Parts: sequence; C-alpha cells; structure tokens
Amino acid sequence: MNYLYFLYIEFLAKHNIPQLFGDITFYVIPITIIFIALLVVVLGLVLFERKLLGWFTQRKGPNRVGLWGLFQTIADAFKLLCKENITPNGVDKFLFNMAPLLMFTPALVVLCLIPFSAEFTFANFGTNSLIYVILAGLPVLSILIGGWASNNKYSLMGAMRNISQILAYELPIAFSLLGIVVLSSSMNLKEITLAQSSQYGIFGWYWLPCFIGFIIMFVSILAELNRCPFDLPEAESELICGYNTEYSGMRFALFYFGEYTLLFANALFLSVLFFGGYLSPFGKYLSPILFNGTLGNVLIYFEQAFWLVLKSFFVIFVIIWIRAVFPRMAAFDLLKFSWSILLPLSIFNLFLMVIIKFLTGGAYA
Amino acid sequence: MNINEFKNIFKDCEIEGEKIVVKYDLVKVVEFIKYNYNFDILKDITAVDNQTPGTELIYRLYSTENEENVLISITVGNEAESVSKIFDSAVADEKEIYDLFGVNFIGNDELERLYMPESWHGHPLRKNYKDDDERLRWNE
Amino acid sequence: MNETNLLKLNLGPQHPSTHGVLRLILELDGEKIVSCKPDVGYLHRGMEKMAEKLRYVQYLPLVDRIDYLAGFFYSELLCRNIEKALEVELSERVKAIRIIMLELNRIASHLLWIGAFLMDLGAVSPFFYAFREREMILKYFEKVTGQRMMNNYFVFGGVRRDIFDTSDIEEFLNILPSKIKDYERIIDRNPIFVQRTSEKGVLEPETALNGAITGVNLRASGINYDLRTKDSLYKGYEFKPVVMNEKDAYARYRARVLELTESAEIIKQALEQLKKYSDLNQTLIKPIGLILPEGEYYSEIEAPRGLASCYIKSKGENKPYRLKWRTGSYYSVNLLRKLLKGAYLNDAIAIAGSLDIILPEVDK
Repeated sequence: MNYLYFLYIEFLAKHNIPQLFGDITFYVIPITIIFIALLVVVLGLVLFERKLLGWFTQRKGPNRVGLWGLFQTIADAFKLLCKENITPNGVDKFLFNMAPLLMFTPALVVLCLIPFSAEFTFANFGTNSLIYVILAGLPVLSILIGGWASNNKYSLMGAMRNISQILAYELPIAFSLLGIVVLSSSMNLKEITLAQSSQYGIFGWYWLPCFIGFIIMFVSILAELNRCPFDLPEAESELICGYNTEYSGMRFALFYFGEYTLLFANALFLSVLFFGGYLSPFGKYLSPILFNGTLGNVLIYFEQAFWLVLKSFFVIFVIIWIRAVFPRMAAFDLLKFSWSILLPLSIFNLFLMVIIKFLTGGAYA
Repeated sequence: MNINEFKNIFKDCEIEGEKIVVKYDLVKVVEFIKYNYNFDILKDITAVDNQTPGTELIYRLYSTENEENVLISITVGNEAESVSKIFDSAVADEKEIYDLFGVNFIGNDELERLYMPESWHGHPLRKNYKDDDERLRWNE
Repeated sequence: MNETNLLKLNLGPQHPSTHGVLRLILELDGEKIVSCKPDVGYLHRGMEKMAEKLRYVQYLPLVDRIDYLAGFFYSELLCRNIEKALEVELSERVKAIRIIMLELNRIASHLLWIGAFLMDLGAVSPFFYAFREREMILKYFEKVTGQRMMNNYFVFGGVRRDIFDTSDIEEFLNILPSKIKDYERIIDRNPIFVQRTSEKGVLEPETALNGAITGVNLRASGINYDLRTKDSLYKGYEFKPVVMNEKDAYARYRARVLELTESAEIIKQALEQLKKYSDLNQTLIKPIGLILPEGEYYSEIEAPRGLASCYIKSKGENKPYRLKWRTGSYYSVNLLRKLLKGAYLNDAIAIAGSLDIILPEVDK
C-alpha cells in the first residue's frame, strides 16, 4: 500500500489538506470501490448464469429488461425488495432474522483476504488462506439456524442433510490447500501468488503440478456452494423444501445473493491458488507498455485485479457449464463419494506434493 | 384353453357368445383358470349397469404363452367376491367399481373411493344416479 | 419398529415435474419408505359418464384428451370400434396415414418422457434438446391436421384430410438417428445418471404380470408382449419389439430410446405404402344419425404407456349404453404401492418417473 499511500498524501499536501485526513480516509476509497464493484459483479453473475444456461439449451436468456437483458437482476432485486416480509407463527424471531445475514456477511468479509493486486490486500497476515477456509465455512451456521428457526420439520430435515453434505466436503478443501502450502512454503495468499511466477509462464502456475488437488478442490467447492451436481437440498423441492422455505422478500434476496457472492469469492480463491492469482498470463504486465509514466505504474494495480477477475470468471463459466449438463447426485452417494474417495485422494495428493517439492529442490518456490 | 374341459369341471357356467357366464364361485373359477391354463394377466374388470338383473362384471384374462383371451362374466347385486388376492391389479379395478357403481368387494382390504372425494353420496355411473340431486353439491 | 416414529410425507399433488397431479402419501422410517398410498382423482372429468349422454360424433373430439400426449391412439380406438361394428373396411392409404400419425405420436410421447425424466433427476438441458425434436413433429401435425395436440383428425371410416407433402417427415427421419446418438452420448454413460437409475425400481416379471403392467415397462422386464405384432392395422410391417432383460429403471430408459428407432422404421415403411397407393378412396361413415347395432364391441391398441382398450356396449341407439376405457398408467400407479416399498426417498422420484405415468389417463 505504500506507493499509493504516498501518492495520495502528496496529492492532498498540494491542496493543503492535513495528513491526518489522508490517514483516516485512505482506506475508505478502495473499500467503496470494492464494495460497489462486488455488487455489480454479483448482479452481473446472476444474469451471466441465466444467459449461459439459456445458450446451452438453445434459448436466449433474459433479453427484455434493458439492452441485452442487463437490468434483469436489478429488476429482480427491486421485486424482492417490494415483497411482503412474512414471518411465520412460532419462529424464533431473532434467529430467523439472523440467518440470512450470516449467509451474506461472511462472503463479503472473506473478500478482504484475497489479494486483488500487489498493493490492494486489506488483510495481509501470515495465515490468510486458513482464515479464508474458516470464514467460508460460516454459511453452514446460517443454514442450520435458518432450518431450525423456521419451525417447519421439512426445513429442518433439509437443513440437516445440507449440513452433512457441506461438512463432508470441507476436509478435502483443507487437504488440497495443504498441498499448495507445501509447494509454496507459505500460507499467505499473496506469497502463494508470487510463488507461482516463474520462467515457465502459464505452466508455472500450480494447476499443473497440483492437478489432482485442483480437481479435488473444484469438486468440493461445487458441493460447498450447493451447486449442481450436488444441489440436492435446493432441488428436492417436492419432498423437502430446504432451509429457505419460509423466507420471502428481502431475506430471501439476501440468501440468494449471498450464494452468488460466495460463488464469486470461491472462484477467486481457486484462481489465486491454482491459476496464479493476479499474475498476467503473458509474464509481463500490459499497462506499462501501453501507457507511459505514472499512469502506467498506477494502472498496473487495476490490471492485476482485472486478470484475477477474468480468471475467476473462467472458473465460474465451467461451474455453470457443469450445471447445464449433469443430473443430480443422490444423498448417500454424495457422502460416500466424499468420505471414501475424495478424502484419501487428497491425502495422497499431499504426499505427492511433498515428494515433488523434495525432488525439484524448491524450484517451484 | 379347452372350453369343453372347463365346462365339465364347472357345470353351472354357460357360454354366451365370447363370454363365459358364471353364477357363483367366481374366485374359484378365476383361480382355476389362472393356475391351470396359465392366464397371467387380468387386463381389466369392466362393470356394466344392466338395471334389473344387476351389475355385470366382465373379467378379461390373457395368457402370454398361448396368446389367447378369455372373458368371464358375472352379474352381481351390491356385493361380490374380490379377486385381489389372486391378481394385484384387481385392487385398483375394484376400487374404481366400488366408487362408481357401489359394488362392495368382500376380501379387498383397501376398498375406498378412488375418484370421488370420501364424503360423496351416491355412485355416479349407475343408471339411477340423479345428477341434479340437491344433496350432491361440492360445497356440502 | 415403533409405529409412532413413522413420518407421513406428501409427494404432490403439485410438484415441479410433469407427471401431473399425482399425490403419493408416503410413510417414512428415517429415510426408507415403509408404505405408499397413491391418491388419484384430481383430474377426473367423467369421460365415461359423458359418453352415455353424447352421440358418437359428439364424443369423438373429447377422446383425444384422455391422454394429451397420445391423443391419436384413443381416437383410433373409438374409430376402430365403430368401424368394426358397422363392418367398414379401411383403404390402404388410410391405413398408412393412420400408422404414420400413430407412430409419430409415439415418438413425440417418448421424447417428452426422456426430457421430463431427466429433469426430475436434475439435468436441465436434455429437456430442451428433446423438445427441439418434438417441435418438428408438432409443426407437422399442425400442417396436416390444424392443431399441435388434441388433433381430432381420425373420423369414422377414415381421416379428415389427405396428406400431400411428406418432405417434413422425411427430413425429420433423416435427422433423428444423429439426435438419438447425441442423447446417448450425454446421458447413457453419465456416471451420475447410471448410479441413480441402475438397480433401482427392479420390476420382476411375475409382479408385472400380476399387476397388469403392459407396454414398455413389461418389455423391459423381459417378457415379449407387443400388441403391434397381432394388430390388423400393422399387418405387413416389419419391426422388432424391444425387449430388455435387466429390470431396473435404466432398462426402461434404454427400451424407450430404442423404441424411437423402431418407430422410425415403421414410419419409413408406411411412407413407401403412401407412395404405392395414391388414391384415398375412404368410405366415411355418416356421423349424423349414426346408430350402432346392438351388442358389445372391444378393441385394443399398443399405446406408448401400455395397453389401451375401449369397450362399448350398445343397445341399438345413437348413444352408447356403456363405454369403458382401459389405460396403461392406471395400473402403473397401482404398482407404485409395491415398487416404492423399501426404497429410499431419493430414489422414489427416479422410480416413479421411470414408469411413465400420465395422470389424465389414470383419472378418466
């Protein structure tokens, strides 16, 4: 943050504004930018998914609201805002209102941990990635609370099944992460990104040596997000309606958009770990070449964020593609798959990473 | 299936056209036909309300081996014997006939109304069913 | 097992799949289904009672609606009964046209079933791909008969209009094999699909025969009973009934996909018949003042969902004394009582979907 901080202080000093003002307000601007960008991205994601699903099935997606359907999600959010907030009889009011917040807030908080560019990380401490995994597991709590507080036996059963699914898929994520940590000798997400820059370019990123870990983490993230083919809790709507039956209006909107924010956050995480984070696939950054002087040096940071978001959108595209094609897995097969196949495979992957690190003598460091 | 051999065993049945008309012992006849001549599908049970003699039940059996059909007909009043222990498809057929014609099948454990709601009075497909009866309204 | 620990669960009558308004009252012990009771009657329209008050020609348009996906078959049953009673012979061209319409209807029904079955299981794309092919068939129906479904095309003694242009059907038959191969490629060996349908809902031949199951469900359990081989309308056509030996839901899926190819073969042969006999010369039975001679008449046909049959008892009037329909899905719903016992709740939808149940057939 140092370079930009000094630029900002210089700029303020030119206009005779005290440095204290700059100290306090320095963090407000990036936070606002990220918050607005996040909202735009999430709104765009919902539309992106609907359009893509339409194209996979030979239809156009939503294309009436606004040019090319761009305002569809805003219209949806507006509609949900105007709906009546029904609270059923006999629910625990505090918990009932708390559950959607617990879904949406961790997703926003977790974005602070991801390095968008070399200078734009808010929380840059040593065990970044571990804290990410912990915080991204908080929505489990919201599912449990939502299911319990709804005073509906079907919601409770659906919530419990959902929780057993999510818990089963947390461990493979942690073990795959450990594999990456072994390769890069650090748990800090920024250092993992930097460790992936080598003379091999794209093939120096971690998706190549850690391919098994990549597949395991990809599948586990699908299960964590309740996406197809693991979307049993959402889609068993004929039998058990899931944890968000009793929610309507803005609370449902928070659940819905919280899911998409989590999707975005997890895709960013995956890109950071396996696809080189904010590194450019060409090896060198394009902004200093295109623009000269200070503008070029400042735009590097935005370009890094752009590369990261681009990679995460590629991951999201594959996730939506999988949704369009696969049927749903049955509940017991889900759990069997995780405990008896994914977990041993991820432990094997860990050993493999240790061996690779030993053999290459730290060439991937 | 040998009709003459059948007539020798069950003496009080008559042959009318294609149908074998039976007066009593329907269950024994059906069981005999199923196990001795291998008629394994009961295609359906048709009920016709001929008013004065009663309701006529026509059982249509088919054999997949010999590829032939046989029809058994019996005229009943308000009660009949159930063949649901011999053929499982008769459970549904008899439910429908009870609902629409009012024939009570003895021996069928799951006898209840199928199409009409439970609280309906009357049996719709009978010839003496009054459509415009005041009692038979939905909002009763 | 403690009786008070059973959970009573309602499956339907509204649900996001296309079975119709079927309500299954399940009793669960944990995750296993202990007992299942189907509750039908939400769609009862009184078809049989209505027939006793309408003349035959007034009843004919209603008959398409007994099963909206296979309307031609029930029209054919009624026409066949009346032609049998009045001893009217159909000309060769009329027979060929009827077979083309019937088999196209069978293909359309099976295509919709593939889409709906996979949508029950969670895959959303094959539904749209199947509808893309079905759209071609429905457009052709609209061209010939004026309506996409519920066509009201067969009349007593023949058909309403002649077919002049068969290029659409030939194009459709040319594309169909590659589309079926597409479906096989994305669905057949998909491990999730195989896991959800293999060895689930195993239907033993004895249970099927006892429960009066006919059609594809019976043939997928190993018994070769296809009415088309004995039907007088299909005399002279060569085709092979599709019989599979594994008795599970996957076998029923495979059997229906293979039946698509068989139906396409029959249509090709019928198209050649059309070219041979170019003169329609149908002897239409005059519908006004139609009086059926006294007696009982019965005819049956192989509909997509099983054996369908029509029984008419006439007392020499212009209205039937009793008219009864026998449909295939009626007995499939009855079979669910036994088939879902002991199955897990997750598999219940896959099993119920694989039997191809359509509610209007059940609740005539």
